[in-house]
Parts: sequence; structure tokens; C-alpha cells
Amino acid sequence: MSKPRIGIYGLTSCAGDQLVLLNCEDELLDVLSAVDLRSFVMATSQNPEGELDVAFVEGAVTQDSDLELLRDVRTRSKLLIAIGTCAVWGGIPYLSGRGVPISQHVKVDYSLPGCPIEKKQLLSALSSLIHGDLPLKLPYPVCLECTIRENSCLLQAGEICCGPLTAGGCGARCPSHNRPCLGCRGPSLDPNYQAATKILAKHGYDVEDVHRKLALFSGTNSSKEGRQVG
Amino acid sequence: MAKIHLDHISRVEGHGALTVTLAEDRIQDVKLNLFEGMRGFESVVLGRSYAEVPAIIERICAICSAGHAVTAHMAVEKAMGIQVTQQTKLLRELAFMGMTIESHALHIFALALPDFLGYAGITDMSVDHPETVRLALEVKKTGNLVQEVVGGRAVHNVNMTIGGFGVLPSKEAVANLREKLSEALEAVDGVVDLLSGLSIPTYQGEPILFKAVKPAEGFGFFGDTVAFSDGTEFPVEAYKTSFHETRIEHSHAKQSTRGGEPFMVGALARINLFGHLLTGKAAEVLRTLSIPVPSTNAIYNNLAQVVELVYALERASAICDRLLTEGIQPEDPVGFEVRPGTGTVATEAPRGTLYHSFSLDEEGRVTAADVITPTALNQASAEKEIALVGKSHFSSGEDRLKELFEVTVRAYDPCISCSVHLIKADGSAKSTLQKKVIG
Repeated sequence: MSKPRIGIYGLTSCAGDQLVLLNCEDELLDVLSAVDLRSFVMATSQNPEGELDVAFVEGAVTQDSDLELLRDVRTRSKLLIAIGTCAVWGGIPYLSGRGVPISQHVKVDYSLPGCPIEKKQLLSALSSLIHGDLPLKLPYPVCLECTIRENSCLLQAGEICCGPLTAGGCGARCPSHNRPCLGCRGPSLDPNYQAATKILAKHGYDVEDVHRKLALFSGTNSSKEGRQVG
Repeated sequence: MAKIHLDHISRVEGHGALTVTLAEDRIQDVKLNLFEGMRGFESVVLGRSYAEVPAIIERICAICSAGHAVTAHMAVEKAMGIQVTQQTKLLRELAFMGMTIESHALHIFALALPDFLGYAGITDMSVDHPETVRLALEVKKTGNLVQEVVGGRAVHNVNMTIGGFGVLPSKEAVANLREKLSEALEAVDGVVDLLSGLSIPTYQGEPILFKAVKPAEGFGFFGDTVAFSDGTEFPVEAYKTSFHETRIEHSHAKQSTRGGEPFMVGALARINLFGHLLTGKAAEVLRTLSIPVPSTNAIYNNLAQVVELVYALERASAICDRLLTEGIQPEDPVGFEVRPGTGTVATEAPRGTLYHSFSLDEEGRVTAADVITPTALNQASAEKEIALVGKSHFSSGEDRLKELFEVTVRAYDPCISCSVHLIKADGSAKSTLQKKVIG
């Protein structure tokens, strides 16, 4: 099997999702030697571009040059994968009215949300793709991962925690540090809306309180029940 | 008129372009265009609670997110008159050192070194220099480990809070860090010879005006005063009078000068101003690398970062030692009352002076915010040095000039997302969408 041709691109963003790849210090050289890297401007000055099997795109579309790059990459790529909450949901640029998620402009084949994405999430997606498979989708919310870790519930302690409605995959990082989930991974693929509403109501919150929090990372998208990632 | 154009500068963070216009016998004009899209952090923090500020602001940048996080916490606490414990200060400084280690290691080895050894990037460099690349990645990983242990995540920490930390690191985790830091220091020591042998491009430079936070004690990245190499000093609160910011047409970042003169911030500025305060291995490495002080060549910033990489590893080790000797006290974040005020703080992020200033009302809501980042401060200086490099090498041909310009820009280690975050704001900048979403 020939090496998949991949490109890694950044639109308007903090470059955090591209940095997560560069932060895979133990795996970086192996991963890069298992693919035919056609573009990664942040890391190399040799970018032959051309046709791609998979393009990873970080960041929101905030300006014409973002859109031009995105459209060009889409036409050259078999699969286009949105990496990070800005690309998937618009992130902070969306809230300020300056940016939109890339799916508003081009077809997105797969999404890896997170602010930033998790190393494991990225490596497992890369590994699936290198072997000709599609990455797994994680349907469960942060709340489930938090429960598995047996953390004490912050909602119960009176904090607004976005865990019940936020996409899992981070291992409940914030609540495990005694900090409420901010919803940085965007809405969960399949949240149990009724159950979440009940839990929140029990602690004196309206589900809208959580949406207001979630809006920081996923704009108005989070308030649409059943809006799906990926 | 001929133009040398780089439409997307590689091996830097974010989107930057460079256009140099050549007249027949000289450099006519240099325009560094930091064209990253604006993300409007200003409209996002305004009206929000003080408690939300750090998590939003740290997302201005990934590489230096811990610097933004620490600085934002300090500024919010200053606004409300909150005094944190010595342990909290030490742990924050430790996270800051972790960031410096990771950021400098990434820049020195993965972004800059390929220029000097003749490669496109770290992957092809690793074919001929596997051991150097392996050691470099180990050092970089140690910087990330420090940030993970203290901040709960290497990029965009989750553990810092107003008044302290969510969870304190365990003694075992700090002891393990201490060991890794020693190994990293050894690894850097092993590549200093290679780095001291690099041939730094020379050019006919002019005296550079440097600027850095004057460290409170010894060499360091924290203090209440900002110093320029012309001998002037300003309290951090007086930043608006110490330099002048202007909007320019060719870049999304504002340009800063002092009395019309560009100035440079970052590792080379710190070494020039305060390098004599270094001790230990860092002082030794400064001598080995023979960085000229005062410097008239901005490209030496690459080597100044090597000195600081050693400093950060030593300082992080010393903090770990102290935490291990004194024991980690199981303390909660300090209690406080929300009150109105303005907090202005400057720290030395990897690329230079970083200002955060926030004003809060009686309910702790943000009424004004101002963040000034090193890459924006360096913009004018980079253009000036590119012109000087071009002048000295004018007859070397366009290809060589292009290479040299790229090496010069890269030496500043620009972090373009930071420079274009656009945050200066007052109540009027709130967007319609935000009003709809947060009321």
C-alpha cells in the first residue's frame, strides 16, 4: 500500500491543533515517515502540495484568504478533516462574529473537535487513516468519562459544568482538576438531553445556562438540540 | 522595480508574508504583512465575568498559552487586589518555565536549525542528524511535561484558577519532573557544541534598541518595571507612554515604536539587558556561544534562546527542588471579594514582553481589556533589520536575499496569531452576536 498523501493546514486559529501534532514527540517522526507529507507550512519549507488523500484543516474562516485556501484544499483532497473546535464549530472567532466553521463553506468528511484536540484522538485518527480505515466517532459526553473516573460531581457542588452536553474524548480533563467543564470540545454527538436537563434542574440550572457557557466555543450551534458533529 | 515576495513564511507560527521592494542600487521598502485573520478576543471578554477571562485569553496563542494564562491570572488578581501564596507563585513560574522550554526548543531545533544545517524541516534533518533530533524532541517533551503536571494540559492549561490551582501536583509528579529536567539539561549540553559552531549570517548592523521587563530578582521573566537599552525605565502601568502603537495598512498587527524608533523584544533583548545576571550553566553557555553584547545582529536571537533554554531548565529544577524540600502544602485557592479595579501586568513570554491589562466593574465584569504581544512589538524592528540585511547582501542575488530575509524573520520566532488577536477594547466594541448570546 502506498503512503497516504496528507496535508496539514491552518486557517485563522491559535495553531494549537497543529502544535498538538508537533507535541507528539515520541511518535512524530514515525507518523511523518508513514505518510507522504505534501504540506505542513508551520513545520517545513518544502510543501509540494498537489493531490491529497487526506487534508487536516485547523481554524475558522475569517477572511477571503482562508476561504481561498480552504476551497483549494477541498478540491485537491479525497477526505477533508476538520481539526479543533474553531474548524468544527467556529470557536471563539464565531462568537465574536468574525469566523465561521469550515463546514459552512465546504464538505467536511470528518471532525476532530477539541480546544485543542487530544493527542490520543489525533494519533488514533491518523493510525486508522494510514491503515485505510476511518477514525472512530466518540458518541458519549464528558460527563460519562468523568463518572468513570469517579470524580466528585461539580454540578452537585453548585458549579455550572458543561460535562453533560459536551463531546467526550478528553478524559474529563477539567473536572478531574476540580474545574468545571467549559465545553471546549463542542456539543456531544448524542447527548441525553432529557437526562442532562433533569440533572441541571436538580441543581437549580436551566439548560440555557449551560448553552450560554457552551456558546463560548460553539456559538449558537450548541443550542440546536441534536446538531451533530462529524 | 523588482520585488522579493514570500507569500507564506514557513516554519513560524501563523500566517505572515514579506514583500521587499528593490530599487536599482538599494532596498526601497520592506513590508512584513502579518495577515492572520482577526479573532476578536476583545468582543468576547467584554461584559464577561473576571473568572472567564484567563481561559479565553490563553487561547490567543497555543505555543505561549501558559504565558497568557499566568499573565491573565496575575492581571485579574491585581485588578481585585488578590494576594496569592508563595507556592502558587512558584507553581505558576514553573508552568511558565515549561512553556519557555517547549517554545524555545521547538523554535531552536525544529524551526530555525534546519536553515543552518540546510534542510527543509525536522523530518529530513532527522535522516542525517538522528541523535540531535532525538535529544531536541526529548527536551521539548520535558517542557510539555512541566506544563502538563502544573497546568493539566500542555496547550491551554485547565488547572490555574483565580487565587491558585484546581489540583496541586503530587510530590511524586514533581520528583519525576526534576529527574526529567536533569536529563534535558544534559541533552542540551550535548548539543551546545553543534550550536556554537553554527555560522550566523552577518550584516552591517546598527545599534538595536532593546526592551524587556526588569527582573525583580536575578535573571528572570517577572517584574514591575520595564527597561529600554537607552537607559529609560517605566513602571508596567505606564506602558502607554513608554512606546507608541499605530495601525498600519500593510499588516493586521499594530506597529510599535519608541520616539519613532523600532525596538526589539525577546531572548536577545533580555540577554543584552540582563544577561550579566545569569548564573550557573546558563552563564557558561552564554560565554560558550559568544553572543556579542551589545548585539547589532538580530539573528543572534536564535542563540540567545539557547541560553534561555538552559536558564529555564535550571530555574524549573530549582523550583522543583524547593517544592520537594519544603513540601507541597495542600492549600485551596485564596479567598477574595469581587471588587472593581484595573490590573496591568507585563511578563517576559518566550518572544518578549507581554502586556495584559483588564478593568473590572463592581460585579467583576470586564469593562476594558488590552493585550499587547511581543510579535506585534517586534514588527517594526524585523522590518528594519531585514532592510539592513538586504543592504549588506544586496549584490548576492535574489535567491540568496530571499533565504536571508526568511532567516531574519524566523530569528524573531514570530507568533503571528498572538500579534493579530486584536484585543484593545472598550464597551462599544461588543458585537451584535455576542449581545444575543451572552445578553
